[in-house]
Amino acid sequence: MDRLNRRRLLKGTAALGSLAALPKSAFAAPALIKQTGDDPALAPYQDAQIDWRQAEGESIALLVTPAHYFEKFRAVTEDIFTELTGIEVQFEVIPPKELREKAVLDLAAGSGNYASHTGDPMYLPLYQSNEWVDPLDEYLNDPTLTDPAWFAVDDIIPNWIEADSVDGTLYGMPVEGEATIHIYRSDIYAELGLQPPQTLEELAQSAAAIHTDDRAGMALRGFQGAGQNMYIFPSLFLEFGGQWFDADGNPTLNSAAGVDALQYYVDLLQYAPAGVENWNWPEIMEAFAGGGLTQYVDANSTASVIENPASSTVAGKVGYQRWPAGPSGRRVTSIWNWTMSINSALPDEQKKATWLYIQWLASRPTQLLSASYKETPEAVVRTGVNRSSIWNDPAYQELVGFTEDYVDVVLTSLQEDTDPNWRPRVPQWPEIGEVSAIAVQSALTNQKTPQQALDDANSEIVRIMGG
Amino acid sequence: MAESRDVLVTATRHVVNEQSLRPGTPGRNRLRTQESRFAWLMISPSLLVLLLVGTVPLAALVIMSFTRIDLASTRPNAFIGADNFIRMARDDRFWHALWVMLVYTVSSVTLQLVIGLALALALLRPVRGQGALRVAILLPMILAPVVVGLAWRTLILTPDYGIIDFAVQALGFGSQPWLTDARWALISVITIHTWQWTPFAFLVFTATLHALPQEPFEAAMIDGAGAWQRFRDLTLPLLWPTIIVIVIMRTMIALRAFDAIFSATGGGPGTATEILNLYAYRVSFTSLTLGYGAAVATMLLIVTAVISVMLFRLQARD
Repeated sequence: MDRLNRRRLLKGTAALGSLAALPKSAFAAPALIKQTGDDPALAPYQDAQIDWRQAEGESIALLVTPAHYFEKFRAVTEDIFTELTGIEVQFEVIPPKELREKAVLDLAAGSGNYASHTGDPMYLPLYQSNEWVDPLDEYLNDPTLTDPAWFAVDDIIPNWIEADSVDGTLYGMPVEGEATIHIYRSDIYAELGLQPPQTLEELAQSAAAIHTDDRAGMALRGFQGAGQNMYIFPSLFLEFGGQWFDADGNPTLNSAAGVDALQYYVDLLQYAPAGVENWNWPEIMEAFAGGGLTQYVDANSTASVIENPASSTVAGKVGYQRWPAGPSGRRVTSIWNWTMSINSALPDEQKKATWLYIQWLASRPTQLLSASYKETPEAVVRTGVNRSSIWNDPAYQELVGFTEDYVDVVLTSLQEDTDPNWRPRVPQWPEIGEVSAIAVQSALTNQKTPQQALDDANSEIVRIMGG
Repeated sequence: MAESRDVLVTATRHVVNEQSLRPGTPGRNRLRTQESRFAWLMISPSLLVLLLVGTVPLAALVIMSFTRIDLASTRPNAFIGADNFIRMARDDRFWHALWVMLVYTVSSVTLQLVIGLALALALLRPVRGQGALRVAILLPMILAPVVVGLAWRTLILTPDYGIIDFAVQALGFGSQPWLTDARWALISVITIHTWQWTPFAFLVFTATLHALPQEPFEAAMIDGAGAWQRFRDLTLPLLWPTIIVIVIMRTMIALRAFDAIFSATGGGPGTATEILNLYAYRVSFTSLTLGYGAAVATMLLIVTAVISVMLFRLQARD
């Protein structure tokens, strides 16, 4: 990284001056180990009472997806992490679906090509049952590897920590995440005299009222995939009171709740732009930014693009609120976070290096620095930091304060509207997610009725679970 | 891969045939043995490579198809005999994928033949801008299929913004669910494949048409045969061997098509465009059931082999 970038980086940090204040615990004990010179960018890390250079000279390879937050992580890694630790980090950037396949094959083969990857928490039960990744407790509890007061794992969004744990043991560290929220055109709502919907029923009514030929009333992801339409359906399913399994462990996807939820999904998308059955979040976000779509429910991170006047025609005309509540009375947001684990096939020294990296990345200073970091002049801010203390910090709230209540909406969603069993947490998830995703899309495209689609999927799940 | 092996087999057979024609004196016999040994020596590196990258993985695939290797399950890996094939016989999605594959292959190969021949005939006589037209026709073939799939998905078929959807709306037919309706999606992926690979048929037909003897055509014209008659009674029969070759090559490619469908529809909506190859991939790498995936792939191999043998027989008979 050249001087200019370094300067820009430091400036960015300075701009968030008040944020640079670390938890009090970090100052309680003076840093004991300072062997990396007086680089001010490294100072926040030297407060941790561990030897950052204990795995010096190691090199680790990571799989990451192409996303702006990982671009920011990459940008600060070389300049700060490598300088701090002497550990080289290589990034291989591939799309999420391919990333999952590649990661699973590497883990299954035990080849240890990738020290870690930005993973899907839903895969952790699978990793754990095969012992493909190490439990993180042994790293967190080792005083030579982690300074618990400095790292403050309790500061990380509790729901994410729970989602990344299997039977109470942490297997992946959340480094970035999101909440699913309702995003709507506040100007159009005001123009039509509508109130933001508080229930799914009201949401459908507002979609119908708003929908015109050149202004779609609603959109949700329709594209088939465990991380696409099965990112939306689980929230609807739970809001309708669905349970993934009954008391005896039998799958109940085709319960009345499931069928009603899917019927609602199908009905609601009649107000969606043509082709939505093949849309993932980028298409939805772009349609909204272009003004052709009035509302959608998706990740809060899309706000940083639709509120950017350079890429959006609707910046400043947007309202945010939590998922409208379903018939069960619940609002259910996703529990999505990108998690990083340690490949158990690695040699010990590499495991140490990987843990140092994960700790560094998930730590408050790195999360803070990367939130506002401009890897390019047009770069957007990060809206998925993993720490409650940053979310509650006025400076960060100003940085992502797209509207008065944006931060509140996201924080409340993260704290109240989700639960770790948002999707069934079983090792068989990849296969279950696939058949469920096909069922949902078959219904959305009218190839099957919701009942038929879910009956078929449910009997597949019975087979998958070994029934 | 398959082609290079055929060439190799033909070459070997050629060497052997030459030798067997010679009179069998002892000296010649020794020479023949030496020559034969030398021939084997020369082809052994390629044979070894073929064995390693072709035969061994193929054998591993067939062995795997009799096992249970479920990465996403707590059940241990095991040899389970024909269970995977029994499951396949009852698997609706498998039969559906097989059917889609056959529909996809038959219709796209037929369309490629018809359109390729029509274009070749149209551009046979010198016309203005013939060179540029030929280049334009050949362009799709040089694109990577995955790029073709993405380009069609985003630039051509997207509702409202895609070129085709725009044109269809301008003509007053309204926007169509090109990739989101089961039937349209299948038509779309067949169209995409045809668009990309018709140039191949065009190229081969153009070359063959130029090499056809002119005399029969001249004689036919003198006898007063019309254009259609000349086409039906002369051009088509003379082109028959070429047609068979194109059918064989294009069928083998269409049966194992993957990239363009993968990037255009991902096999969807639902499983509407899921051909057998894509199903094998999804079973193996999305559902992580490698044993069953291997069984599906083995079945694909058998189907492809049977169809190829049938087509080669057809060619040999001619």
